[in-house]
Amino acid sequence: MNKLRGNELKKGATFSWLTSAVTTEQLARYAGASDDYNRIHYDDAYAREAGLGGVVAHGMLTMGFMARALVEWAGNPICVQSISARFTAVVRPGDVVEVKLVVEESTQSHSVDFSLQAFVQSKTVALGQARINLQSTLQPMGSNRKMS
Amino acid sequence: MSEIDKSLIGAWSDPFTVDVEKGAIRKFADAIGDPHIMYRDEAYAQMQGHSSVVAPPTFPTCFRPVVQPPWFANLDRRRIVAGGISFEYERPVTAGMQLICRVQLTGVEEKSGAKGAMQLIHQETHGKNASGELVFISRRTTIYRSLDQVQKGSLA
Repeated sequence: MNKLRGNELKKGATFSWLTSAVTTEQLARYAGASDDYNRIHYDDAYAREAGLGGVVAHGMLTMGFMARALVEWAGNPICVQSISARFTAVVRPGDVVEVKLVVEESTQSHSVDFSLQAFVQSKTVALGQARINLQSTLQPMGSNRKMS
Repeated sequence: MSEIDKSLIGAWSDPFTVDVEKGAIRKFADAIGDPHIMYRDEAYAQMQGHSSVVAPPTFPTCFRPVVQPPWFANLDRRRIVAGGISFEYERPVTAGMQLICRVQLTGVEEKSGAKGAMQLIHQETHGKNASGELVFISRRTTIYRSLDQVQKGSLA
């Protein structure tokens, strides 16, 4: 599907993407993969002692979901020129995170600015921004842009 | 009173080298639950003009200095909460790259709100490739909660 067609690039156009429920196994995997061994993410007693009421997901895992939603939209990870997020509430095992991408601006130069929101049910857990450059995939291989 | 030495604002960490590994990229994508082919299939990535598989956009979060920089070394881990972070790319991070990274302490802020006092630690990481070209910049804000907040069970 060519994402440049239709109304998808109009300001205010919205795309939603849902994760599977976060699991404690995922938190352990993410701790290992990201080399973030803060025990608040996998040691329940420690997380309670830290005043968190139990283990919480890495904020960076939530941002990973936000980046994934962008890549799902753009088709290729190298289109993501910049991404930022700030974390506004914790995500816990069992939570399903919904990522919403909203087009803020798109230009002739194939650059699209998005605002990003991540929710667990109606609670906002992260907010961010991103810039997608649809042309970056065109550079190495001509027009051979391909969705996975 | 700031517990972070503000005289270090502007200071850079020692450079540290990151070897970007194929397996590390795949494990990172697995942990997020992202099956994208560009993170996994070297031949496909090469067909797209890259030297190997490409890293997910948030991958540089794992580029950590071997030795914590002096402003971060003695912090109480229970008090640390992620505030915000950004990644900006000049070129993609791909497996096989050797990146030279340095972290700068760019600011320390005191905040006191309804939920108590906290400090915001602002840091910036620059990653360059073997030719000295900038690959990415990452800016990170870390929330350092007060001990009081930890004891009261209040999140930042």
